[in-house]
Formats: sequence, structure tokens, C-alpha cells
Amino acid sequence: MSGSTATVEVALEGRPIRVALLVAPSGAPERTAATRAVLAAGAELVATLATDDPRSFGERAAALRAARPDVVVVAARSREDSAAAVALAEALRLACGHQEPLLRVLAATDPRTEAQIRAAAAPCSVEGVASPTGEAGRVALVGAIRALRRETGTVLRDEALEAAAGSLARHAASTTLLVDVSGASTSLVFASPDGALRAVHVRPLGVGAGADRVVARGGLDRVRRWLPMAVDAPALAERVFNRARWPDAMPTNELALSLEMALAREAITHAFADAVAAGLAAGTLRAASRVVLCGRLALLPLPGQSLLVGVDGVGHRQVAAFARDRGAAAVRLGALAVRGDPEATDGAIAAAVEPLALVAALWPRRSVTLHVSDAGGRIDQRISRGAFVLIPSLGTVEVSASGAELRARGDAGALGVLADARGRPLSLPPRDAERLPAVQRWHATLDAFRGGVA
Amino acid sequence: MAWRYGRWTAEHALPIGVSERAALGQPVTAGEALASGASLGSAVLVEGAHRIGVAAEDLSRVLRTSVGADVARGSVLARTGRRFARAATAPIDGRVLHLTAQGDFYLAPIVGRWTVRAMLDGTVVRSDEACVTVAGDAWSLAGIAAYGPDAFGGLVLGVEGANDELAPSRIDTRLRDRIIVGGARTAAEAITRAHACGVAGLVAGAVPAGGLRLVYGDEVSARGMPLREDRPTVLCLIGFGTAPLPREVFDPFRAFAGARAAIHTASARLFVFAPHEAGDFARDAPALALAPDYGGVRPLADGESGTVNVLAYDAPR
Repeated sequence: MSGSTATVEVALEGRPIRVALLVAPSGAPERTAATRAVLAAGAELVATLATDDPRSFGERAAALRAARPDVVVVAARSREDSAAAVALAEALRLACGHQEPLLRVLAATDPRTEAQIRAAAAPCSVEGVASPTGEAGRVALVGAIRALRRETGTVLRDEALEAAAGSLARHAASTTLLVDVSGASTSLVFASPDGALRAVHVRPLGVGAGADRVVARGGLDRVRRWLPMAVDAPALAERVFNRARWPDAMPTNELALSLEMALAREAITHAFADAVAAGLAAGTLRAASRVVLCGRLALLPLPGQSLLVGVDGVGHRQVAAFARDRGAAAVRLGALAVRGDPEATDGAIAAAVEPLALVAALWPRRSVTLHVSDAGGRIDQRISRGAFVLIPSLGTVEVSASGAELRARGDAGALGVLADARGRPLSLPPRDAERLPAVQRWHATLDAFRGGVA
Repeated sequence: MAWRYGRWTAEHALPIGVSERAALGQPVTAGEALASGASLGSAVLVEGAHRIGVAAEDLSRVLRTSVGADVARGSVLARTGRRFARAATAPIDGRVLHLTAQGDFYLAPIVGRWTVRAMLDGTVVRSDEACVTVAGDAWSLAGIAAYGPDAFGGLVLGVEGANDELAPSRIDTRLRDRIIVGGARTAAEAITRAHACGVAGLVAGAVPAGGLRLVYGDEVSARGMPLREDRPTVLCLIGFGTAPLPREVFDPFRAFAGARAAIHTASARLFVFAPHEAGDFARDAPALALAPDYGGVRPLADGESGTVNVLAYDAPR
């Protein structure tokens, strides 16, 4: 493994790149595709100006100047949109014509519009690119933005995650959703055995430097609702802000750990929302038969903690096998796979993943009986709406339910079979008096605070 | 190292609508106007080259005004011909904001004025439509985040000791245009009272994040929020919640009391304009420790060693 150790350093976050979009109106395929490409490239989306933006010319320019983009992607196709895109390029020149270093414009337009944008946006350099509505165009746009992020000779963390997800899907011959939450980024990578890949890498959003963004996007109450103890909002705000300014802080008590777990759940929720805005079907991502947790999620001290955050954050449908990246080895091996033969590392990446549990999501009309069979025999468990029950099992298990369409087979992992009948989307009571006992019960079910934190 | 004397640069981003700005190499003093301009309303598009029958690239030859100039309604922007003249005229009073590649004008009404002031004694090292940068010598202390507009004024201590909270009752109109140094905590009540009393800015070990959200809105982040509008200015030195200042950081404030100072919010720095020989202030401050529940930050005591969540005072954060 000395080779992999030497390559650990290649899986990097890369240079942060700020991208602004000048795009067709909301709902247009060009806009959706450009957003998806920016998210897939792991860039920070700092501004989106649509061709039907109601703001005045000066306000558009002010918005672009405040955004300070490094790259601007222009994506417009129709005749009307193209004319409006040229007007936006004029606002771009007024706003950023003196920016140092000069920004780059990637124009996914027809050649005539591209020439007009070149004149309008001078002195910014304008490059024509293929429309991101096509697979090839999107891949090229992602490549162009990633090339700007990449330091010499490095493999980006996003690339390593994608390689690892592809490898796991191929090896297990099943759809795989890889969920990565780090200090300042949150990624969702969906891979199928046929090689298809859908990814969003949202920056800055995470449990460390991006923690304050989680709160800014969703509000404090969204984070607070996941905590198993009562914390008032102002006190929570300073904990989040201090965490955001403290790189690599390690939680040393239950409150700090549960705060990071709460932030991770919300970061995943926001990443799903961004994926939907980028035209990805959240239902497809959530229907993956395997969910692999990476980054800070995988580094939580107890398997139950990783599983709880994963189940709450992903909100998967039906049955999925949850696993976590043991010691970040899968991501490191993913970086190796980017450099070498991807299939050669498939076995090693699969071995680097620690199975956690088989999770069955149910929403039965009335109580059903869940049958779990493993090498030790069969266990029958009554499940009613709202239940959250862990059934200890070992090895390969078969799960079925009488009174519900559910039949699955998979690895019970370290924890067993989790029956989750809390419903999707998961709704938490707004009042502390009702919510806290429920959240505490879920933590207790997975033994999430056994003996405090490591 | 906490306090340092040296040569610093302060970058001042300019809004759209610059009228005047300091020239490259021009000496400036802190508080002096570096650039001024107009806040503009909704711009209107005025047909130019096409209307007067010239190619866009030839428009510059027939321009009767320049981009950035203020014009009155009916003013000729560009004109061709003599006896049978063709002209593009301004439909409103306002400013020529932009000339497009197609040879059209954007005109915008002037709805206000703005001024950007220097935050360093020094010289202008960059000056263009987007930014003016000043380089100069000063004592400086880096914070982790700053909120509000840049601030300039005389430095005054608002607390007795580094562990004290800045009490709102200590702030009154006699402190107008001063920069008040708080101690371990400056709450929202003190921030809003200081602003109401005309205080230029506040420097604090920590500010409650909840208070920042009350004062600046829910979109406020831990990375600071430089603004231009009339809002309070706060420089947060080491954390959020409560954070007593180390002696090495707090003691020089006593010596600097009365000196001119400036808070540059974009870089979250305090500049103090005192001579290099003012004192032996450039010392290493003790490392900082994050509270186990993340609720505050404190300096490590003498002889105390921590291993978890401890950072050097000036470690990048």
C-alpha cells in the first residue's frame, strides 16, 4: 500500500473557483444544464443572472461586481435569450472589466452570439464551449472548470469520490449513492453499474468552514431540530460560527458532536435541493440500493452516529445498504483509480468500505410484520407508523414484510437491520417538548451516544 | 504574533458609478476621501451609433460626452453632420454609465452620492474603476471577521480589563467618532447603542453571533460582512460568544488610547497610526483554545498546554 500512501496527498479540494451564470430563464434546459455542470465541477456558484432578470442594467452590474467571479458561463440558445445574454455581457464588462486577474467567459452559444459577447465583454477572454445540455458539452464544461481548480499534478477530491462511487457500483453491480460531507463541501455522487454517473459537489457547505453557510441557507431552527438536547438559538449560533472559524476542530463532548451531526444532516438536505435545481431527480438518487458515507460522516466515532446522520440526511426510499468509508481509504484509493486503471482498484475500494446496516424505509398504513432471516435464524418484528427499530443481525440477511411490498437481501453490517417507519420526508415536531424525546429515542436506538464521544 | 508594525495594504472595492478617485502614487491619510461617485437608479438604453448612422467602432469620433459624465436631459451625446445633423440625445438627467460594443448608451439617473475613504496613511498603489488600494505603515491587529462599513476614529478603551464585557451604559455621545475597544464580549445592545451615539466602530474579543444576526440580518456569516451603508462597524478579534483577550493583545490598547485608528472590514484588520517606537508590542500571544461545546474561545493560561482544538493565536482560520 505504499503506492496509495504516496498518493494520499493528491486528493485535494483544489483552488476555489467562483462561477457566475448568465443563463436562459428559470426552467430552460440551458440554465439547468449549466447549473448542473457548475455543481458537478465543484465550483462555488456565486451569482445567477437570467436573461429575463428584472433588475436594471446598473443593478445587474453591481450584483456581478459584488460576486467577483473567476469564471462566467453564458448559456443561451434562443434568439431572444441570445440578445439578452449580450446585454448581460455588457453589464459584466462594466462590473468586472477591471478585475484582476481578468475573469474568463465560457460561452455556450451560437457562433454569432459568441462574437457579440466577445465584443461586449472585452477585455475578458471569451472561449466558445459546447452547450451543456448535451452530455459531451457538460463533460467539457466540467473539465474546463476543474482544470482551473486543479493545482499542478493533483487529483481533485471530487474526482476521487466519483471514481470511488463508480468502482463501488461496478463491484457490487448495484446503484450506489456516495455521500461525502467535509468541512467546506458536501457531495452527492450517484453511480450505476453501467458507468452512468451523476454528481453534485456543493461548496462552501459542510460541518467545518462551511457550517455557517448551512445556517445561512436553512436557518438556525433547521439545525437545532436535530439536536437531542435543548439549546437556545443564540447559543447555537455562536457554536456554529466558532466551528466555522476553527479548522479541523474535534468534538470533545456530546453537544459538539451532535451539533456536527445536525449540520451534516442539513448540509446533505441542501445538497439534495441543489441537485434538484440542477435537474437531477432526487428520487433517483434516493433510490440507490447502496449508500456509502464518506468524509466527516465516516469519521464519526460510532457506526450508529454515521448511520443516523446518513439515514436522516438522505431520506432514502425502500431498502438500502448503508456503509461508510473506513479511515478515508476509499477516497484515497479513488484518487489512485483516477490516475491508473479504475477497474484494478475495484476490489480494494470495496474492501475499504465498512458495511453499517441494511435500512428498510417503510410507511405502512397499519402495523406490518418485518421478517429478518440471517444465519442465526428468523426474527419477526411488528412495525407501526413512526417506528424506528434496530434488529440486530449478522452477515447476509433477507428482509421481507407481511402486509407491505418489501423484499430485499443484503449485508447487515456492524449494526443489523434498521426498520425506519418515520415516513418521507421526515417531519419533526416543532415544539421542543415533543421533538426532543423523539430525537433522543432515535439516538438511543442506534446507540449513538454510547459512553459519550471518542 | 498579535500586534505587528509594518507596511500594509488596504484594498477598497468601488461601487458602480465612480466620479473621482485618487491617482496612482497619490499620498493619502486615513479618513481622507479616496473615491467618490453617484448611486444610480434604473438605467435607460439610448440608441447611439445606429441612430446617427455611424459604425459602432467609429462612434468615438463623434461623441460629444464621455462615459462617466453627468448630462442634462436633451444633452447631445453624439452627433454627425452639420446642416442635416443626426444626434443621439439624453432622455433624462443622469450619468452616462456605459457605452456598449454596439454603440449604444446606458444612462442612469443619479439618486445619491457615495464616498470611499482611505483606511491607511500611505500612498495609492492601485487605482481603477473597480478598486483603489493604499499601502502604508501602521501598527496592525488582525481579527477573524468584521461587519459593517470601514471606520476611522480615535481609539478609546471601553472596559477596565480584558475579561470584561462592554457595558452599554459606558457608551454615550461623547464617544462620537471614536473606535471603542471592548473586552471579552460586546453584545448587540452595546453595538446598537454605539451606533446611535455616533461611535465610529467597536473592537471586541468576541461578539455573540445571535447579536450579529439581530443587527445585520440572518444572512450574516462567520466570515464577516463588509458593507457600505450606514450600519454599525464591529471587528471581532478571536471568536464568537465570549473570548477574553490575551494580555499581549489587550495591554497595547492602553498605550494606543487616543491614537488615530481605522477598521478595514474587508480584511478584518485594525490599523493604529502610532510610531514604530510606541512600545514593545510585537509579541507572541498565547495559543487559543476552543471551548468544548464550541461556545467561546479563550487564551491558554501560562503553563497550560492543550492538545485538542488549540491553535496558535495567528494561525490561519
